[in-house]
Amino acid sequence: MAKLVVLQQRQPSFSPFASSLSDFNGVRLHNKLIQYRRKAWQAKGTLHVKASSAKKILIMGGTRFIGIFLSRLLVKEGHQVTLFTRGKAPITQQLPGESNQDFADFSSKILHLKGDRKDFEFVKTSLAAEGFDVVYDINGREAVEVEPILDALPKLEQYIYCSSAGVYLKSDLLPHFETDAVDPKSRHKGKLETESLLEARDVNWTSIRPVYIYGPLNYNPVEEWFFHRLKAGRPIPIPNSGVQITQLGHVKDLARAFIQVLGNQKAIKQVFNISGDKYVTFDGLARACAKAAGFPEPEIIHYNPKEFDFGKKKSFPFRDQHFFASIEKAKSELGWKPEFSLVDGLADSYKFDFGRGTFRKEADFTTDDMILGKSLVLQS
Amino acid sequence: MASFASPSSLLFSSPTSNFASATLSSHPCLSVSSSICSFSLSSSSLSSSLHISPHFLLYPINSRVRSASSSFSVKAASEKKKVLIVNTNTGGHAVIGFYFAKELLSSGYDVTVLTVGSENSDKMKKPPFNRFSEIVSAGGSTVWGEPAEVGKVVGGAIFDVVLDNNGKDLETVRPVADWAKSAGVKQFLYISSAGIYNPTEELPHVEGDVVKASASHVAVEKYLAEIFSSWAIFRPQYMIGSGNNKDCEEWFFDRIVRNRPVPIPGSGMQLTNISHVKDLSSMLTLAVQNPSASSGNIFNCVSDRAVTLDGMAKLCAKAAALPVDIVHYDPKAVGIDAKKAFPFRNMHFYAEPRAAKEILGWSSTTNLPEDLKERFDEYVKIGRDKKPIKFEMDDMILNSLKVAVPV
Repeated sequence: MAKLVVLQQRQPSFSPFASSLSDFNGVRLHNKLIQYRRKAWQAKGTLHVKASSAKKILIMGGTRFIGIFLSRLLVKEGHQVTLFTRGKAPITQQLPGESNQDFADFSSKILHLKGDRKDFEFVKTSLAAEGFDVVYDINGREAVEVEPILDALPKLEQYIYCSSAGVYLKSDLLPHFETDAVDPKSRHKGKLETESLLEARDVNWTSIRPVYIYGPLNYNPVEEWFFHRLKAGRPIPIPNSGVQITQLGHVKDLARAFIQVLGNQKAIKQVFNISGDKYVTFDGLARACAKAAGFPEPEIIHYNPKEFDFGKKKSFPFRDQHFFASIEKAKSELGWKPEFSLVDGLADSYKFDFGRGTFRKEADFTTDDMILGKSLVLQS
Repeated sequence: MASFASPSSLLFSSPTSNFASATLSSHPCLSVSSSICSFSLSSSSLSSSLHISPHFLLYPINSRVRSASSSFSVKAASEKKKVLIVNTNTGGHAVIGFYFAKELLSSGYDVTVLTVGSENSDKMKKPPFNRFSEIVSAGGSTVWGEPAEVGKVVGGAIFDVVLDNNGKDLETVRPVADWAKSAGVKQFLYISSAGIYNPTEELPHVEGDVVKASASHVAVEKYLAEIFSSWAIFRPQYMIGSGNNKDCEEWFFDRIVRNRPVPIPGSGMQLTNISHVKDLSSMLTLAVQNPSASSGNIFNCVSDRAVTLDGMAKLCAKAAALPVDIVHYDPKAVGIDAKKAFPFRNMHFYAEPRAAKEILGWSSTTNLPEDLKERFDEYVKIGRDKKPIKFEMDDMILNSLKVAVPV
């Protein structure tokens, strides 16, 4: 089985690095070379491609969060990895803690296919021209986006899709298991429709359903939301009782799970919940963030969200309900398990991101001030 | 004198013996049947496997027994273990021994249930004890006595497996454990409690998590691990199931059928784990069937789903096909002890059965929505819906909240 790789933690400085590998023609030439070399290695008559052999992999997306970590693991495994993006974000950026050597190695190998995945014709022709063994669809939201990919690659070995545990129908019985009812009306119904399409097209698909993802470079203000308040020495306003239970999964553990399903017989046409080993209450998460980042225990203020009109602003980054999923299937079928405990994972995120002064969203305490200003607060 | 039922089937494959269909005399000595059973289990020579207890010679010996013992040479097709269940005579765990006994018996094991106390006590009029005839007719033995005198109570019988489903502290369990050790019991199982886990904001409770040092079960668990080479510990939470000695779902049904509000402390979002007792007996049975796999392990003895307190109320109402009116309250503000007013812990209390799934390949069959329908049917069948009940604590709570109660 593929060896699991952990990113080295050496370089303290962060230096964004624009890649020069961005254009399609250059990629095609490069690929032809790789294909020639690979054929020379393989014995004649060998048709069966084992999981351990190098594959030509396409990642839809890959420059924002999950893909950044996943692409590095794949390249280290020896696969040829192409990122399909519009090129809005740099194709490669040196990660905090990533050595110059590792980054140079990665940058020299990663390939870019520039395009808009909503341009279905372009997707179909460019992918067909290239041919890929495996597709990791990290940023797909709607089933229509997947059709041209499947059309372009009739010999696709595996379609690995990043879905979401948000597809589960709300229930009084938790955790969510992969066999549970899904909600066709949820905000994530595009993910559900994509899963159905994959099933219907008889592709060798695998669907991963994460819960809340966290870790360095998170663009969803999950841990960042708490860190802003802790840094500012502000109380943490948590809706209602604060005993609502959620679940966080570290992005590096998620990336490892994506590696574990590659070429894995047990992953064929299977769904896997991927997240942390334990669940946590909202109050507990606030305290875990403080502990991880070395802040004193925070003051927590509970409030009734119904008593406020926050307009379009979000007053809290989690859905106000219990929401967690069992990862037992992935643990027993894939031999995968999360390496990060909650506090360790939050410490990793703090160390390589917020703690260095980087974050995605500026602090906005508007809703906090509304809550704190009002004298009506629930007893904690 | 305790009565012993004849074992229903002693599966011997010897063609020379009539034992396959034999029923021992109406007053078989437990030690006789036990010696036969251990005799059949052992693959070693005849003489070494025949355990002769002092009592053996005091009872009439069936001549067939003697002749078989000298000519018997074939092993039983499968292990026919003798299991002793030391069972509490009261409380939420009482029903565990009842289901475990029946499941073992239907799996062909030889089972004795030793219930604490006296067969004639008032406690025996309640379920599951008032249904012990089911154990007897399935071929099990039921005896009564004090666990501290277990050896005497079972008449010197020999067992392969002992489950202590009684003691909460070392003082109560030690005599049973010590006796089992000296009597050569091969596997010792213990019903502990998931209540010993340290409360935490990270759920669920998983085997290996820190437990409260002050919990009395902890000393028992430690002692068993010290003296037995094959031991397993089971930590349950709440149970439903026919024959339960303690109210669980009934608490909700009582209020729902009488169109009374259901007062739930706190937010109602607290998670708990309510299993059908079949999940516990199936896990215990798997442990008996796989002693080496289960040895040295702690198992959360629970279903694999959590339910919120509000969720449980709603599921009970759904099972009864009736509406439910949930009222939340702060016990401190009302001035009552939530433990007296409500049958579940007023906090998250949720363990998952990860070890059982991983190590024993066990799976949960609890299906609360379906199970509660069955439970409600029985609730009505026994006429409990018509029973006059006083709701003093409820009324106190509702009064302080100024909630109207239908007359």
